[in-house]
Amino acid sequence: MMKKIIILITIVLLTIILLAQDNTDKILIKKATIVTVKGETLQNEDLLIENGKIKAIGKDITSPTGAKIIDASGKFVYPGFIDGYSHFGLTEIGAIPSTTDIRELGKENPELKVAWAINPHSVHFKTSRINGTTTALVAPEGGTFPGLSALIKMEGWTFPEISLKEVATSFINFPITAPPTRGERLGPKRETKIDVTAKLVEKIKNYLDEARHYLELKKSAAKDPSLAPPELNPKYEALAPVLDGTLPVIISVEKAKDIELAIKFAEEEKLNAIFRGCTQGFKVADKIKEAGIPVIIESLYRGPSEPEDGYDAPYRNVVELAKAGIMICFSSGTDPSLGKDLPYHAARAVAFGLDHEEAIKALTINPAKIFGVADRLGSLEIGKDADLFITTGDPLDLRSEVTHLFINGRETDLSNWWDTLYEKWQTRPLKD
Amino acid sequence: MKKKILFSVFISVFILAGMSLSSGAEKSLLLKDGKVITISGDTIEGGDILIKGRKIAKLGKNLPAGPDTEVIDLKGQWVMPGIIDSHSHIAIEGGVNEMGDLMTPQVDIKDVIYPEDINIFYALTGGVTTIHTMHGSANPIGGRGIVLKLRWGKSAEEMIFKGAPLTIKWALGENPKQTNFFLPGQSRYPKTRMGVEASLRYEFEKAKDYLSKWEDYRQKLKAKKGEPPLPPRKDYRTEVVADTLKGKYWVRCHAYQSEEMLSIMHLCKEYGIKLVCFEHGLEGYRITNELVKYSAAVSTFSDFWSYKWEAYNTMPHAVALMAQRGVLVAINSDDAERMRRLFVDAAKAVRFGGLSELEALKTITINPAIIMGIEKQTGTIEPGKDADLAVFNRHPLDPYTVCQMTLIDGEVYFDRAKHLEERKKAEEERKKKEEEAKKPKEKK
Repeated sequence: MMKKIIILITIVLLTIILLAQDNTDKILIKKATIVTVKGETLQNEDLLIENGKIKAIGKDITSPTGAKIIDASGKFVYPGFIDGYSHFGLTEIGAIPSTTDIRELGKENPELKVAWAINPHSVHFKTSRINGTTTALVAPEGGTFPGLSALIKMEGWTFPEISLKEVATSFINFPITAPPTRGERLGPKRETKIDVTAKLVEKIKNYLDEARHYLELKKSAAKDPSLAPPELNPKYEALAPVLDGTLPVIISVEKAKDIELAIKFAEEEKLNAIFRGCTQGFKVADKIKEAGIPVIIESLYRGPSEPEDGYDAPYRNVVELAKAGIMICFSSGTDPSLGKDLPYHAARAVAFGLDHEEAIKALTINPAKIFGVADRLGSLEIGKDADLFITTGDPLDLRSEVTHLFINGRETDLSNWWDTLYEKWQTRPLKD
Repeated sequence: MKKKILFSVFISVFILAGMSLSSGAEKSLLLKDGKVITISGDTIEGGDILIKGRKIAKLGKNLPAGPDTEVIDLKGQWVMPGIIDSHSHIAIEGGVNEMGDLMTPQVDIKDVIYPEDINIFYALTGGVTTIHTMHGSANPIGGRGIVLKLRWGKSAEEMIFKGAPLTIKWALGENPKQTNFFLPGQSRYPKTRMGVEASLRYEFEKAKDYLSKWEDYRQKLKAKKGEPPLPPRKDYRTEVVADTLKGKYWVRCHAYQSEEMLSIMHLCKEYGIKLVCFEHGLEGYRITNELVKYSAAVSTFSDFWSYKWEAYNTMPHAVALMAQRGVLVAINSDDAERMRRLFVDAAKAVRFGGLSELEALKTITINPAIIMGIEKQTGTIEPGKDADLAVFNRHPLDPYTVCQMTLIDGEVYFDRAKHLEERKKAEEERKKKEEEAKKPKEKK
C-alpha cells in the first residue's frame, strides 16, 4: 500500500515538473521587427519558440496553450551574435596567473584542448551576453601550435551543456615578418626578415611532414602485423584531422607578405584554412578571395599594422575584405572582459564604410558558416536553434539595449556582476 | 664685397617682410553651417564660428565673412570642442617609467617630449587636440608631467601648452607594490599598501626638513652675523617634493581601490598637499561623498576592467554614477589607440548609468580641462577661447561617427578628405614606381 502511494506521488510530481518545463519551453514573441538575416526583414511579425528551436515565424501566430507571450512591438529580433575568437572561461583576471589558463608552455601543443578547461561560470559570460552574444569560439594561445578551440554557447551548467563542438578548429600561429629596420634597408645585404619568415615556415612544414610520416607508419603497421607501430605521439595524432582536411585550422597572420606565404602554405599542405587577423589583408584581398579562405577579424581597437597603411587601416581593411567578397566574421579579441564590445567593433567598421547588412552577417551567419554550424545557428529560420535576442534598436548602436536573450530557447539572465555593484552603490546615502 | 653686402641687405629685408606679414595681419577663418556643440551652452544648429588668429572671435548664425576671411563650409556637420585627454603616455621618447629608484620626482617628461611620435597624428584623427602626457605608475612618487597641444609637425617646445599648471605623478596600489611583475632578485620595498603610505610619509617629512634647512640658511644670511653660513646641499629630488608641499605641482595620483584613495586624501590633508585628481580611480564610485568633500577629481576609463585584481570591483556605470553624484570626472585613454576613440568611450557613459549626452561629452572636453587647469583657454566653444575644434560627420556619440577635421589654435591639423586624397595620390605614385622598377627585368 505504502509503495503504491509513493509511486503515485512520484508520478504526480513528475507530471507537474514535466508540465512546468513544457510551459517555459514555449515562448511567443509578438509584433516584432524580425531581422532574419536569411531573407527579408519582417515587420510586425511573431516568432514562436518551442523545445529550444524556432517553431514558427509569421503574422499573428496563435499562442499555443501555456506559452509565455512577450510583446515586442517597436522592438527588434536578431539571431544571437557569434564571437569568432575569444578566451571566455579561460581567464578571469588577466594579471592573476591562478585565474588564467590560456597559454601552455612550449611551442608545439597541437593536442591541447580548451574544451574541458572552460569555466562556464566565468563572470565574463554574463557581462558579454548583454549585447547579444550567444555563441563564441574559445581559443588557446601561444607558440606555433597553440592547440584546439571549442565552439560553445554562452550559457549552461557544465561544459557538455555549453558545447557545440568540443573540438572546433586547430591553430597555427604564422610567423610575423617585422618591417625592415633602417639599417636593413640601407645597410649591406644580409639575411632579411622575410628570409627568416621563410625559414620559420619551413620549420612548420617540417613538423607537419613529421606528423604525416608518423601517421603513415601507423597506417602501414595496422595493415602489416610484421611492422612495429611508431611510439604513440599525441601531438602528431592531434594533427591527423588537420592534415586530412577534416578539421579546419585557424592561421593567425598579419602582414600582406605573410598572408601571401600563408595562402601558398595552406595550398601546399592542403589545409582547410581560416585566417585570423589579416590586418594588412586589404593589400592582397584578391588573393585571399581567390584562395577562398575566410577571415576572422580581430578586435578593431587597434592601430594600423604599420604607419604606412594609414591611420584608418584596421577599419578600411574590413571594408576592403568584404568588398572583395571574402567571408568575414568579427571577434571581440583576446580580452573576455570586453566581450560586450563585439557589436561595437562592427560599428566602427560600418562607420568607415562597411555595409550595415554585411556587418550583421559577419556577426551571425558568416561565423556560423565558417565554423560549420549554419544548419543550427546564424539566422532566424524554422528548425534552427532558438538562439536570439530582442533589442530596442540597432544592435550595433551603443544606445540600444538588449531586453531579452534566448539560448536554446531558454530566456537567460541578463543581470551580471556590474548590476550587483550598481544596485548596491546607488543606495549609498548622499552627504553634504 | 659690395655684392655680399647687397645680398645680405636683400636677405634681411626679405626676412623682415616675412615677419611683418605673419605677425601683422591676423588670420581669420570662418567655419560655416555646423551643428555647434558648444558644451558651455546650447547646441547651435546651422551655426558659424569665426576664428581670428588663434582664438574663437564670434559664435552665431550667418556671420559675415570679410574679404580676407578663409571660409570652410561644414555642410551641417557636427563641431565640438577639441577632445582633451587628461591621462596619456604618448609623445614620450623612451620609457615612461623611471624604474631605477623608488621615488623619482626629479625626472620630468618635459625633457623627453617626442614630437615625431606618430600617435600624435593618430590622436588628431580622433579629434584630440590637447593631452596631459605623464610619467608611469611604477613609483609612489614618479616624474613630472606636461600638457601638450598636438601641434603635429612642430617642435617639442612649440607643443607645450603655455600656462598649463605643472603636474606630478604619484601612484598607489599594485604597480608601486610591484604585485604583478616577477623580476627575480629585484624585489624591493614597498610590497604593501602600508609600505606605500609609509614611504610617502617619509618623503614628505624629508621635504619638510629640507625646507626648514633652507629657511634656516636664509635667516642666517639675513642676520649677517659672524661667519657667512654654508648653504644646505641642493637635492633636486627632495626639492620637487618640497615644491609639491608648497603647492607648485598639481598632484595626479594613480589609484584604483577606494580605501587607498581615502587613505591618501587623509595623508594629503595632514601635510596640506592639494591632490587634484585620482588616475583610473575605478572604485571612485564608492566614495563619491568623500571625493566631493575633498574636491578631488577622477580621470578614468569608460569600461576597461578586470585586467588585475584592483581593477575588478568596478563597472561601466562608474563614470555616470560618479558624475551624477557630483564628482568631476574625465574619461581618459592611457593608451595611444584608445585615444582615437574617446568619443565612443563617452557614449558608453550614456549607455551604462544613463549619463546625459551633454554630461558625457563634458567628460572628454571641459572636465579634463578643469582637471588640467586649462579651462579658461580650451574645453568649450566660446568666444575668447582657443580655436581647438573637432568636426564629425555625425553626432560625436553616434556609433557611426567619423572625425573629419581637427583644428588647434584655428589651424587645421587634420582634414580627412584632404588626407585621403593625398594618400590616394601617394599610393598611385608608388604603384607607378613599382611597375617601372619591374619593366627592365622583363626586357632581359
